Amino acid sequence: MTDSVQDNRAEITAGQEARLTRIWNSPPGWRYWSAVNNTEVGRWYTVVTFAFFLFAVVLALLMRTQLAVPENDFLSAQTYNQVMTMHGSVMMFLFAVPIFEAFSILILPQMLGARDLPFPRLSAYGFWCFLIGGVFVCGSLFFGVAPAGGWFMYPPLTTAYQDGLGSDIWLLGLSFIEIASIAAAVELIVGVLKTRPPGMRINLMPLYAWYILVVGGMILFAFPPLIAGDLLFELERAFDWPFFDSTRGGDPLLWQHLFWIFGHPEVYIIFLPAIALVAMIVPTAAQRPIVGYGWIVLAAVGTGFLSFGLWVHHMFTTGMPAISLAFFSAASEAVAIPTGVQIFCFLATILAGRFAPSVPMLFVSGALAIFILGGLTGVMVAIAPFDFQAHDSYFIVAHLHYVLIGGMLFPVAAGIYYFYPMVVGKQLSERLGRIVFWVMFIGFNIAFLPMHFTGLLGMPRRVYTYAAGIGFDTLNLVSSIGAFIFASGLALLFYDTLRPRRNQPYSPRNPWNAGTLEWLGEMPAKSWGVRSIPLIKSRYPLWDQPNLMRDVDEGRCYLPDAEEGKRETLITSTIDARPAQCLRVPNSTFKSFWAAVFTGGLFIFATYAWYTVALISAALAFVTILIWLWTDTAVIPEKPNKDIGLGVSVPLYASGSASVGWWAMFITMVADMTAFASLVFGYFFFWTVHTDFPPNPAPGPGLFWPVLSAALVLAAWGLTLLARRYNRQDRAHGFYLALTLAILFTLGGTLALLAGPYLSDLEPTSNVYPATVWVLVVWGTLHLALGLVMQVYCLARRLAGRMTAEHDIDMQNVGLYWHFLAITVAVTAAVIGGFPEVA
Amino acid sequence: MTRLLQLRAMWRSSRPAILLFPLLSGCNGPQSALQPAGIEAERVAALFWWMTGGGILIWLVVMGLFIYATHIRRHKEHSVRRTRWLILGGGIIFPTVVLAALLVYGLILMAQLRDFSGTTLKIAVSGEQWWWRVRYAREDGSMVELANEIRLPVGERVAFELSSPDVIHAFWIPSLGGKVDMIPGRTTQMILEPTKPGTYLGACAEYCGSAHALMKFDVVVMEKAAFAEWLERQAAPAKPPQDATAQQGLQAFLANGCGACHSVRGTEARGQVGPDLTHAGSRLSLGAGTLPTNAETFSRWIGHTDQLKPDVRMPAFGMLPADQLAAMARYLSELE
Amino acid sequence: MTKPHEHDDRAPAARWHSLWLLTVGPTIWALHFLIAYCTAAVWCAKVVGRDGSLDGLRSIIGILTLVALAGIVLTGWFGYRQHSFGDDSSTHSEASSGDRHRFLGFSTLLLCGLSFVATAYVALSVVFIGTCQ
Repeated sequence: MTDSVQDNRAEITAGQEARLTRIWNSPPGWRYWSAVNNTEVGRWYTVVTFAFFLFAVVLALLMRTQLAVPENDFLSAQTYNQVMTMHGSVMMFLFAVPIFEAFSILILPQMLGARDLPFPRLSAYGFWCFLIGGVFVCGSLFFGVAPAGGWFMYPPLTTAYQDGLGSDIWLLGLSFIEIASIAAAVELIVGVLKTRPPGMRINLMPLYAWYILVVGGMILFAFPPLIAGDLLFELERAFDWPFFDSTRGGDPLLWQHLFWIFGHPEVYIIFLPAIALVAMIVPTAAQRPIVGYGWIVLAAVGTGFLSFGLWVHHMFTTGMPAISLAFFSAASEAVAIPTGVQIFCFLATILAGRFAPSVPMLFVSGALAIFILGGLTGVMVAIAPFDFQAHDSYFIVAHLHYVLIGGMLFPVAAGIYYFYPMVVGKQLSERLGRIVFWVMFIGFNIAFLPMHFTGLLGMPRRVYTYAAGIGFDTLNLVSSIGAFIFASGLALLFYDTLRPRRNQPYSPRNPWNAGTLEWLGEMPAKSWGVRSIPLIKSRYPLWDQPNLMRDVDEGRCYLPDAEEGKRETLITSTIDARPAQCLRVPNSTFKSFWAAVFTGGLFIFATYAWYTVALISAALAFVTILIWLWTDTAVIPEKPNKDIGLGVSVPLYASGSASVGWWAMFITMVADMTAFASLVFGYFFFWTVHTDFPPNPAPGPGLFWPVLSAALVLAAWGLTLLARRYNRQDRAHGFYLALTLAILFTLGGTLALLAGPYLSDLEPTSNVYPATVWVLVVWGTLHLALGLVMQVYCLARRLAGRMTAEHDIDMQNVGLYWHFLAITVAVTAAVIGGFPEVA
Repeated sequence: MTRLLQLRAMWRSSRPAILLFPLLSGCNGPQSALQPAGIEAERVAALFWWMTGGGILIWLVVMGLFIYATHIRRHKEHSVRRTRWLILGGGIIFPTVVLAALLVYGLILMAQLRDFSGTTLKIAVSGEQWWWRVRYAREDGSMVELANEIRLPVGERVAFELSSPDVIHAFWIPSLGGKVDMIPGRTTQMILEPTKPGTYLGACAEYCGSAHALMKFDVVVMEKAAFAEWLERQAAPAKPPQDATAQQGLQAFLANGCGACHSVRGTEARGQVGPDLTHAGSRLSLGAGTLPTNAETFSRWIGHTDQLKPDVRMPAFGMLPADQLAAMARYLSELE
Repeated sequence: MTKPHEHDDRAPAARWHSLWLLTVGPTIWALHFLIAYCTAAVWCAKVVGRDGSLDGLRSIIGILTLVALAGIVLTGWFGYRQHSFGDDSSTHSEASSGDRHRFLGFSTLLLCGLSFVATAYVALSVVFIGTCQ
């Protein structure tokens, strides 16, 4: 190469970098908070999550102080119960689940060599919802109105026997956060499937991505039942619909089913992403590829499925028939197999490689030592007769902390030490790291090992005090001492991560000599992520692909530039990662922030039963989201294709199943259908527990109105699909006519659906039957209303020229929504209209 | 806080125990599942020790392998083919076999424990915030109601019918067997078969509100003859006041409206809301396992329920004159 | 750098490939589990009552189990066929569509193995539990 060519090359590179920097940098000053880029949002998310964690740790220490000695009066019973409830709720909903979302938003794009996730504003919206909801829930403790029903909120204690707003704060505050989790799941699933670098086929994905894919899928089936349960619960709290009131035909066990259908998979939703961190750290420590990649995929997918067959093991003592317990006992034993396989894969990898000790690996060893013990006690409590003794005793407290701290907190600590240089550019102290580990490890075991015995000596959980002299004293004191040692280890960890390190030099690039793409970045990291997106040919490209780093740095790979001044990332095909589209992702905006604020307003004002203000807030949220959709989604690009480098040209616009938006809609609707299925489950649950559900003869809603409603809605569905086709064919008149008719049919269908229970005078507060019918009708109505808005939106988009025959993302997605809506209404009609006829 | 200050004293007295933990902590205690006194508890305790032994063994082997890989031979690169056999053997075959065996044992045991036939005595227990209403069915079909105490004949299979009028509770006597929830709107069943006479403790295991921690009860397993005699005594009406003070106590009891909630069979007090007090003085504890029973504790309880049990339904009668309180306490403590 | 997928001469003959294949085995387990649980719940609540016998249910779940296991074995065999594409020394970790094909087949096979064991575990329940109590 001659000098002039080299100079020329350097000039081009400098120009490219300047353009990338200009478009990817976060805005300065107070506008910084409008950032939506995954690195910023991921950092905020992580920091806030750990703040909530610290809060819950303090609560734990308050409890351990109270329980250090028998008959203590450090906390009153009422305060202790609030603290106990908040500890569980905050750890689960504000730390354990969100920490995986936070970490993934931060590191997943890096692992995939992507510049950003496909829906940055959705991540930002999720983050702000999480922050607002979390602060609201935690803040309640300082006013003495925190929920005190336990993190599981069993009715009727929480519906009828506790005064105050506590239960409402729990329900509304956390429902709000559950929605954020589903948003994160959508983002991460589409991220894994669609934003991989070219060549990264499904068999070359980093294991972390596999786990996130599985966990994302689990969230879609686990969180919606809880959201459905929350809906029933809040309808009982606010409007006295008796779903859980046994005097009016309700049943408290319905809540337990819905809660644990969520609650058990949730444990694995917490555990799998943490084990995913281990699956990234172990190969680096062994300096060789993982042994048994396929086995780990088996474990991740298998655990994901089996975890849905375990929920009743939280209900072993409710007096259900032995045969039901047996099924769940069997599944609970089976899930131990995939869980164990992963551990043996890690062992095999270390055996096959040349192990290099490090602080992250130290935490991984601690994690395994603790988690295996928790897993073994898990196998024990899965045996129903043993659980009859252990259930709701301190044995379970010990078991769950071994599982969660070994299976989540220690791997997360390992992840902090491992990924810290990637995020901050500097390394944490190795010497301090070892001290932190040993203090935490020893403290943890002193605190929780004795609890196994405390439980079997007969100490129930969730007690604010205990009697002296029946064997609990010494064990509890030891546990309390251990808890403080453990907490001091955590304090040391926080000190090390937060202390200023201005004088410390930047870490070398790829400090652990890892093989995966997230270590491609420079130290400190650049706002644009990777300089150019490489072609991947190996599971560990940094080890196996020579000159990869140089090629990427010199912009010799895909998308090295931002000529049009837009944020862009690459979309590839699901299985084989062929480049499919250049996706323009949005730049900083406050719209997500305001949408979250107004959504928060809806939930928070509803808690105080200020329904007018809540509705205004809901309307504002709705308008904000509409503006957000209208202005920055499905934007028609200035040219159809773009040259992304290396002679490859890809489209800038894709609709239908080729677009990421379509997948997001599909995934969201899967979650929505799960929530709907949970409500239908409620209907049939009441059928099994009562002899007169539905009553004979049924007081309503009759067959006529539901069938009419279904017919009208199915017609509206057909017309919507017709409008989609006419739009594709550019037959404008046909499109407008079909869609207008569809809107009228939708209106008619909605009114007919409401007419059934309304005209037959079903009074939802009188008994559980009318309440159950009404809740299905209300669910259908809300979805029809949304379907209506979508139809009007498409009409307006075409009128405004923002949707054309070729650029029809909106219409395609609305068509997809309508498939699900048609199913929802048809099933609702069959259940509320048809089932009383045949039952 | 005052309690925390006693830590020092406690440290002094129990230092050896703390240092030798867990060897000395033992498995003893009136509420221990590991010191069984009933068929179910015995089987489950045995199962526990077997599973614990097996679990420790598995833990040691896996951690041993891990230490071998990371410390002892950390530079040796073992063949991948052999490590794959480790995954197959340790991760799949071994757990599949062991878990299947354990599952089968658990299922057989559960089928035995869930056999509700062959019972000779039936007791209905209702968990209420935060005490236990206990009703024995006698052979003649009549019911005897008492509260917060259960006595059982040794060697007999006893059927419990469990219910709740308010929130969910769980009925648990660790020394005799596992727990079963008491759920509003449902009646659940359990069987216990005590094998050793003695005094044990039971507790509510499902979180049920403010005073969940103070919802306990005493369990006495007796020889059959002694049990029959005891039940006969419980069925009888209350002993009339023995002296003037006790007489004054009964009067105060009635005058202050206690009878609206409590029954003392043989007097005008016929309330059904709170615990039946017909033989309150003969019970081992007061306030659902909160205090021992004597005149002094009765007086404290009546005067300061709110301080002894958070959010308790019974109002405190501390405003009564001291002599009335003392007389009432005297009367109740003598109801044997 | 070369263009993606330029030299992929060892492409497998099978045209059909999908991530969904992985989920077939576990989905059969899930359906078996759910149907068994719901049938048992309805059986005890509506058919024989809380003290009733499970005899009729046993045959229903027995047949259900055989169908489920057959489905799992079939899927597993399909996965095994896919895994056997190429010669004995074939890998799953390289950047070719053949490797991707074998990898998906292998994972399908493994998941079917796990689903088989889990389904058999669930079926053990009706062998040892005889009544609705």
